Formats: sequence, structure tokens, C-alpha cells
Amino acid sequence: MTLNAEPPKMTHHRRQIAAALLMLAAPLGPLAAHHSFAMFDPTKPMTFEATVKSLQWTAPHAILWVQAGPVGKYQAGLWSLELPTSPGNLSKMGWSRTVLKPGDKVVVDINPIRDGRRAGQFKKARIVATGKVLGIGAIPGTQPPK
Amino acid sequence: MMIAASAATGALAQAPTEPAEPVNAAPSAQDWAALGALPDWSGVWSPGPLDRFPAGSTSAPPWKAEQAAQIAALKQREDAGDPQNIYVNCLPEGLPSSVTQTLNAVEFLFTPGRVTILGEFDGNRLRRIWTDGRPHPADPDPNFSGHSIGHWDKGALVVDTIGFLPQVFIPMGQGVGLPNNGDMHVEERIVLTGPDTLQVDIVVHAPKVLTGPWKASRTFTRHRERKYDLVESSCRQGDFFDDVDAHGNAVYTPIPKDAGGAPVPPDQAQMPSR
Repeated sequence: MTLNAEPPKMTHHRRQIAAALLMLAAPLGPLAAHHSFAMFDPTKPMTFEATVKSLQWTAPHAILWVQAGPVGKYQAGLWSLELPTSPGNLSKMGWSRTVLKPGDKVVVDINPIRDGRRAGQFKKARIVATGKVLGIGAIPGTQPPK
Repeated sequence: MMIAASAATGALAQAPTEPAEPVNAAPSAQDWAALGALPDWSGVWSPGPLDRFPAGSTSAPPWKAEQAAQIAALKQREDAGDPQNIYVNCLPEGLPSSVTQTLNAVEFLFTPGRVTILGEFDGNRLRRIWTDGRPHPADPDPNFSGHSIGHWDKGALVVDTIGFLPQVFIPMGQGVGLPNNGDMHVEERIVLTGPDTLQVDIVVHAPKVLTGPWKASRTFTRHRERKYDLVESSCRQGDFFDDVDAHGNAVYTPIPKDAGGAPVPPDQAQMPSR
């Protein structure tokens, strides 16, 4: 089985990634749509460098697929990093399907899945070439006025 | 055709008088104009912070003893990092989840005789609330969002819903909840509470699993920026890779998942021995 690593056939338009993308990685639990994220272990956060294979821009959760060399006890290979919500919500936080592109070098922060596979909960990514940080915040406006 | 032919030959002495087939009458100009007098619910509404309805709190569903034990076990597994997710199959969440549990935006469409709710989940959520005065069917076909009838009461839409599938969950979280097991009845009162806030008060009657009505509320916040416009959101799409077959066709290939619904790399589809 192979992932389609073809880059998107579209002009790469550099959207203005506003401060929304620079938000600190907020606690992710409340944003987890569709399924509980309790299989990921928040007590063993990991940070490692990897290369973007694809940003899977799909509901109910976008997935960042990255290729990494050996990381601690993990052998080199493909990682699935699950984002906490859907493209509809991510786009309200300033993400887009082209914000990360195949081949981008990134440093990712994740909470690994407890069963030891190369899978995790995405927390944030820093694009090495630009220093831009992609995080996950609250959906703007969802906090009702007090 | 058959009846007409039989009657013509006298085989049927007297054709019974059938009630007229109900129809949805064409709306008049006045019907359309009357919509302008309704509250303005235009825009996109995002749900407020998720309530977790913690077990034992006054906001938690009043589970019967047998269900309370199951909920405690589910909560224990969730806390232990082994969630038993209740939405992993991507079937529609239905009520009350689409009010109490959802994290995805909705919009309301008013047309004569009906309010339509569309949302970014369930492969595009759709609810119809009939406001044309019709009653519930005597024996509705069960479904996820039930059969909803509503009326306007001083600016509030009052909705009554029956006809749920017994499998529809009453949720306390993404990984903790139980099916209603049948005969669920849901009441809602939906009203603007500010220029851009909408409150849904919901009462869930589920006599098979609850000792009494469960009352919950959720606030939705309005957005008019176009970046909030609802988008297609197919829950099954995330189960597949974009892939290319041997002929060069664009196809979908299943993504392996762990028991809780998290994607894992294809070369580790089987759980590694530990």
C-alpha cells in the first residue's frame, strides 16, 4: 500500500497565516470531534523532526502523515498524526489544505498512541524552513459571552 | 388501476372512502412574506464549549442503576486510555448528540411550513422540523434524528421529536454514552438570547434507560464571516487514503485504525506484540 505522494495540482498560494496559527497548543480534548482521544498518552509528549508526506484534509479529523527516522524506541517509518477536528473547523483557525506540503521538513509535537505504534495526537508543528508554527486553538467565537 | 377495474366489473360493491392523500400545498406569497416576521436565525452557528456532563453531577443524565454501572465502566476505560468510542462507525449522531455533543456548526433555513437544520457532520447533517401544523405519524419509521414537529412561541421554536432508532446514543462524551434502547422522546426550545447567541434547551425522555427526564442546554454563537460557511463534511472520508491504483485511477484505500478509531500507519495495521 502506498500513499499518493503527488503534490496537490494547484497553485501554491501562500495565504496569510495570521496570528490564529501562532496560537499556543491549547488542551486538545474539548476539540476532539468524532472520537475520544484517550488512546493518546498526554503524559509522554514527544517532539521530533519529520518530513511531510501529506496533510489529509478530511472529516471528521484531518491527519498529518509524516515520515521520520528512528525516534527513541520507534523505528524509522510513516507516522499518522491525528488532528483534533475537521477541515471545516480547522479553516476557521486559519489552516488550509495547503498550509503543509509534501516534502516540508517539520518539527512536530505529539502525544503518542499508547499501544506503541507510530501514531499520535497532533499538537503543533514548526516548519523548519520558515519557523512558522501551526497549532490548534479554540474555534473563534465558540465561547459564549458571559 | 386495479381498484378502478374491479369496481367497473362490480367485484367491489362499494369502494371505501379513503382519506384524502395529504399534500404539501404550494406556498402563497403571504406564506413567504410571513417568514419575515420570524426571528433572524441567519448565519452560521457554532456550538459552545462542550459540557462533559460528569457522572454524578446534576447535569448528567439520570441513568437507571443498570445503565449507571455500564457508564461507570465506560468512564473507567476512558480514564485508563482505552476509550470505547460511541461514534466510530460514522453513522449519524442524531438527537440529543447533535445538540449536546456536537462540535460542528449548523445553519437554519426557514421556508413555509418548515425549519431545516443543516450541519457539518454525519456526511452533512440534515433535520427537518415541520411547522405546518401536522401531527407526528402514528407509527413513524425510526431514524437517527427522529420525526420533528414544531411551532413558534413568542420567538422561540418549540420542537417535539419522536421516532428514534433504539441505537441512538445518549452521550456524556465521545467515549461515554449508551443507546436509548427505544421509546425516546425529545423536547427542545430554541431561542435567541442575544444578538448573536442562540440557546437550545433540551429535555430527553428515555424511559428504557433513564429514571426521569434529562435536561441540558447548549449555546450556539453566530458567525457571518464567509470563512464560517458550512462545507461538505463526509464522516467516512477520513477512513480512506487518497490513492492511485495500478491503472492510474484515483481511488480510496482504507486506513487501518486502532480499536478506538485512531488512524495508524499501514505497515503497523496489526497491533505490535508487546
